[in-house]
Amino acid sequence: MSANDPHPAIPSAALDPDVLTRRRFFQASAGGLGTLALAHLLDEDNLLAAESSFPLSHFAPRAKRCIYLFMEGGPSQMDLVDPKPKLNELDGQPIPESIVKDIKFAFIQKESARLMGSPRTFRRYGECGMDMSDLLPHLSTCVDDIALIRSMHCEQFNHLPGQLMMLTGSAIQGWPTLGSWLNYGLGSESQNLPSYVVMTTLGRGLPGGANSWSSGFLPSQHAGTLFRNQGSPVLNLSNPPGVSREVQSRSLEAIRDLNAQRFERVAQPEVVSRIKAYELAFRMQQAAPELLDLSGETKATLDAYGVDRSEVSGDKSGFESSYARNCLLARRMVERGVRFVTLFLSTWDHHSNLDSGLKRYTRISDQPVTALLKDLKQRGLLEDTLVVWGGEFGRTPLGENRVNFKKITGRDHHPYSYSMWLAGGGVQPGQIIGETDEIGWGVTQDPVHVHDLHATILHLFGLDHKRLTYRFQGRDFRITDTAGHVVNQLLQSPS
Amino acid sequence: MFATHCSLITCCGLLVATSVSQAATPVDFQRDVAPILQNHCLSCHNDRQPRGELSLQSRTALVTGGASGVVIEPHDPESSYFLDLVTPAGGTAEMPKGKPPLSNDEIATLRLWIEQGADWPADLTLEPPTLWSLEPLTRPAVPADLSPPPEFPINNPIDAFIARGHQEAGLDPAPVSDRRTLIRRLYLDLLGLLPTPAAVESFVSDRRPDAYERLVDELLDSPHFGEQWGRHWLDLARYADSSGYLGDSLRPHVWIYREWVINAINNDQPFDDFTIDQLAGDLRHNPTREQKIATGFHRNTLRNTEAGVDLELYRTKEIVDRVNTTGMVWLGLTLGCAECHDHKNDPIAQTEFYELYSFFNNADETTVRATQLWEIKQHAKAMEVWQPERDTLLADLQRYERDPLDEKQSEEIAKILRGEAKSSSLNSVVDSYRTDEPGWAEIKQRVESHLSQKPVVPVTNAPIFSERTKDRRETFVHIRGVYTRQGEKVTPDTPAILPKLQPRDEIPDRLDLARWLFQADNPLPPRVAANRIWQHLFGQGLVATPNDFGSQGSKPIYPELLDWLATEYRRLGWSRKALIHTIVTSSTYRMSSAVNSVPGQRELHNQRLWRQNSYRVPAETVRDVHLTAAGLLTRTIGRKGIRPPLPSFVTEVGRSVKWPVSEGDEKYRRSLYIVFKRTVPFPMLMTFDAPDSTVSCSRRERSNTPLQALTLLNDPMFYECAQVLGRRMQAEHPDHVDAAIDALYLHCLARRPTPTERNTLITAHSDLLRLANDEHDSNSSGHSPEDAAMIALARIVMNLDEFITRD
Repeated sequence: MSANDPHPAIPSAALDPDVLTRRRFFQASAGGLGTLALAHLLDEDNLLAAESSFPLSHFAPRAKRCIYLFMEGGPSQMDLVDPKPKLNELDGQPIPESIVKDIKFAFIQKESARLMGSPRTFRRYGECGMDMSDLLPHLSTCVDDIALIRSMHCEQFNHLPGQLMMLTGSAIQGWPTLGSWLNYGLGSESQNLPSYVVMTTLGRGLPGGANSWSSGFLPSQHAGTLFRNQGSPVLNLSNPPGVSREVQSRSLEAIRDLNAQRFERVAQPEVVSRIKAYELAFRMQQAAPELLDLSGETKATLDAYGVDRSEVSGDKSGFESSYARNCLLARRMVERGVRFVTLFLSTWDHHSNLDSGLKRYTRISDQPVTALLKDLKQRGLLEDTLVVWGGEFGRTPLGENRVNFKKITGRDHHPYSYSMWLAGGGVQPGQIIGETDEIGWGVTQDPVHVHDLHATILHLFGLDHKRLTYRFQGRDFRITDTAGHVVNQLLQSPS
Repeated sequence: MFATHCSLITCCGLLVATSVSQAATPVDFQRDVAPILQNHCLSCHNDRQPRGELSLQSRTALVTGGASGVVIEPHDPESSYFLDLVTPAGGTAEMPKGKPPLSNDEIATLRLWIEQGADWPADLTLEPPTLWSLEPLTRPAVPADLSPPPEFPINNPIDAFIARGHQEAGLDPAPVSDRRTLIRRLYLDLLGLLPTPAAVESFVSDRRPDAYERLVDELLDSPHFGEQWGRHWLDLARYADSSGYLGDSLRPHVWIYREWVINAINNDQPFDDFTIDQLAGDLRHNPTREQKIATGFHRNTLRNTEAGVDLELYRTKEIVDRVNTTGMVWLGLTLGCAECHDHKNDPIAQTEFYELYSFFNNADETTVRATQLWEIKQHAKAMEVWQPERDTLLADLQRYERDPLDEKQSEEIAKILRGEAKSSSLNSVVDSYRTDEPGWAEIKQRVESHLSQKPVVPVTNAPIFSERTKDRRETFVHIRGVYTRQGEKVTPDTPAILPKLQPRDEIPDRLDLARWLFQADNPLPPRVAANRIWQHLFGQGLVATPNDFGSQGSKPIYPELLDWLATEYRRLGWSRKALIHTIVTSSTYRMSSAVNSVPGQRELHNQRLWRQNSYRVPAETVRDVHLTAAGLLTRTIGRKGIRPPLPSFVTEVGRSVKWPVSEGDEKYRRSLYIVFKRTVPFPMLMTFDAPDSTVSCSRRERSNTPLQALTLLNDPMFYECAQVLGRRMQAEHPDHVDAAIDALYLHCLARRPTPTERNTLITAHSDLLRLANDEHDSNSSGHSPEDAAMIALARIVMNLDEFITRD
């Protein structure tokens, strides 16, 4: 407290995050007790554990932020974005032995498996003429803003290994997720919010649980922070019951003063980091609830996302509309400097009842995802915000005939060819990359492996995937391990 | 463009000029060239592991060349590919790979050597550099004739090595810490708990000359010692209570391994025995149950059982992890690099990796019945409560029996009533009762309910290893680490660079491997183990990379001290407690940790250890010091895990995570007992850098983040601690804020506040009291304003950096 403050007890001005600037913070801290030294140390950013060890990008970045729309379970590409008329023709036929000889399935019985056509109807949209299924009426209206990859492939045909592969570049548990790598490589942009945030819309939980946003072997401050879309968004964000804002504020002031006195006594730089951490925590306490407060959004925006959609019927738990809310919150987060947002939507794992399952999950996601794209574009954010849509793999052209299934109504896991799309952040929009064969079994042109996707995403952020490394267990690890090539076709040519 | 040409020409001109001017001095291979090759080339290009098929150890090897053919043309530097590789362009050169390029002088010497005919005496073979950690371990001479300042007496050889270092670096040692700091340091390091104010005062006022040694002995004897040092070991063992991956199923019996670790450390089991039991206890002669339980060490690997996965793939990954973990924990070698190819930096070939792998390839995963005495006693006690109630109920029930019952009916009823039937329902035997009499429904319900609560007979099956005897697996190199691509067949053996294995039999087994670690000529395990103990007492090892003593790891500061500690550990019969005793009674350990403790001396990173280090306590201790200061800690040692409360949105992210919250005092047990679900790790622990236990962890991060601040401020458990402590302070010092503040500091920081701190807190208290009075009517917490203010004060002290720091 400065001696001339007329109201030393409750620094109400300090409650306003805009007023609690660093300068004021020091003016307010223990008068005269080495505040200069403290200020000097606080300005040395390298003292902050959360700072990046790679101060700058390797080359000019196109993307500054990423919203990763993770479609957990594996959406069926041939029913959504990769039409296969020939597959419809061959519906009910066995698949040539030569194709499946060395293939492992999670559940399909190879000998009796039959091809299964799609009941969906497709049309071409946009100037680029991209095919979209009738289940995606909203996304169909902005195909010229997205780049569709039909030639994704990897080796992992089970959920968790596949998801770990997609999220971390390794099927083995314990690697850092993409958001952690970016955090580690680029540091934090936000002063008030974590730079890597995760939100979930979950049917039955995620196979990897918190490993889905783990920092793996990177320092733990690079891990994602789980946010809820209502109530208290972050664990321990709210004051304990009965502790008012005033009490919290006065307590923080005393903590800061006593910590500053300790710094005087022992000159330990770590104390300064602690002071700064408490300052950030206090700011986060103000900023995070503001983030969730949608009262400042126009009705048009809320309607566009479908935050209170009435047609989502029978959705008593709010499960379906919560995804719309998360999409809107993702925009609000990137606006506020959050670097990486992952929205998990679970689950597209349609081994059975594919038809109704897809209807439900596209109903949940098509409108809000499209609204997000349009909203970002309209606000000029899409230019440097990368949006990624996709699951851990696709689904088989074969119907799933698992041993105890009475009827064949779904598809099994298929990592050998599947689709994803990207938008914004320096991605060349309005194009389709890669092709699959006429039944959608394998990639016939421009294969894009998960490692290639990661290399490309890092490239968009101005990072060379071969140089963003971390030494662990005697080895320099990178997200692409020993592979990965930038997919140049995805990159927007410099304007 | 023009400018570039110009400078190139100038450059070449210069080079030529240099060469010509040096032409007069003939190059001497051994004096001029050999050191360059040894320093920069031989660690990769040697006869054993010639990278690019090129060895540079001898003339013959050089003349043979490598994959790119002959690399040196005598008398013709321009045609010598070797020179192209080492000459930098734009600041980097092809070779040495991943290292800074050679100096201009070195390159000029090599050029001149080639120019003069690349002479290399035929009988001269160069030796590749040896890793410092593989040098034979000998006991170094203890420095004498030192004149350290009086406040740094040479208590034991540790101090002699350190004092010499100080002298060499011109550093003054920090003064000895005051007793309050010392007792808090010792409690945190040895027990992971805080001293009580009474313990602090008793130590501070103990005038006996050996007061400090007595305190050390007392703490080493405490059963909490095994918890603290056991937790360090569990990091290495990647201990968790679930399997990981999609199913992440609970491992309900693994706590028995944790308990084994705690007991072994409390009993000060010698480190060699401790090791051998864990790697090969099952292979000991007539192994005890405890020795079998110890093999649970390598049962802590992740396991993927997701439907449809390639189970053999994940089995091989578990074995790979076992090899890696063994390498890191005992050898300080990152063997993992050799899973897919020869180790790029350290002398470990891929075949050697799979030779180690084959030691573990026939270790079958089995269990041993390990029900503990306390479980049986607990059950017996529960039965003592349950049985009389049952007998009373049965007597009541009998009155409804129809008579006479035949033998079959009686037997059926008896079975149910003894709790031996599958169901505790009486429905199947109602015909034997007069169910139309009044009270029947009630007695039936009471009996059934009581029967269903019959204490379950405890059965604990410890996960262990048993060596496979039939259908033993053969081991092949996995080409590029892919297990389906079989390379050459291998048999169990240890890496050639290390001392020779001395198997008991023709085919070596895990027991031979475990014993080999402690062979007198094996320099690695003693160094690695001594370093780890040092690390836990100074916050950082003498080797900063405790799992990597290879060429990519850190070099030791004070290498002779490390060797002295390593030999001393062995001399002390591998007694962990004895070595810790030696270290903590040194002057080195007792120095102040304050950065400004020697005026004007500001070597921030403390590389030469002129002071102790100060660092944030580990995640578990953060919670444990709160519980100790609040007086809430439940001190039961060992036993099953606990589940402190968690909000559902944390547990919901995993699949089928049940989190039945521990009841009563259980939830106040120490943090190492918190059930660790690998897919839903306990958030507070992760926020404070607990390892995720996917792989062995030998060094934790110490981050300092806003989420930590939020946790300490607002987490219900931490707030509960502040409430309990605050209320107690208010009750004990109702009208005396000064005294309450003193007591708070004693409980939390083992000291009294400075006058400035006291003023800060008194002012804060009066503000907080005023706020509490103002808010009293609207506040639903139920605290009196006085309590509320004191709770707020306790919360402030518990949020200080010092509270969670070990100085």
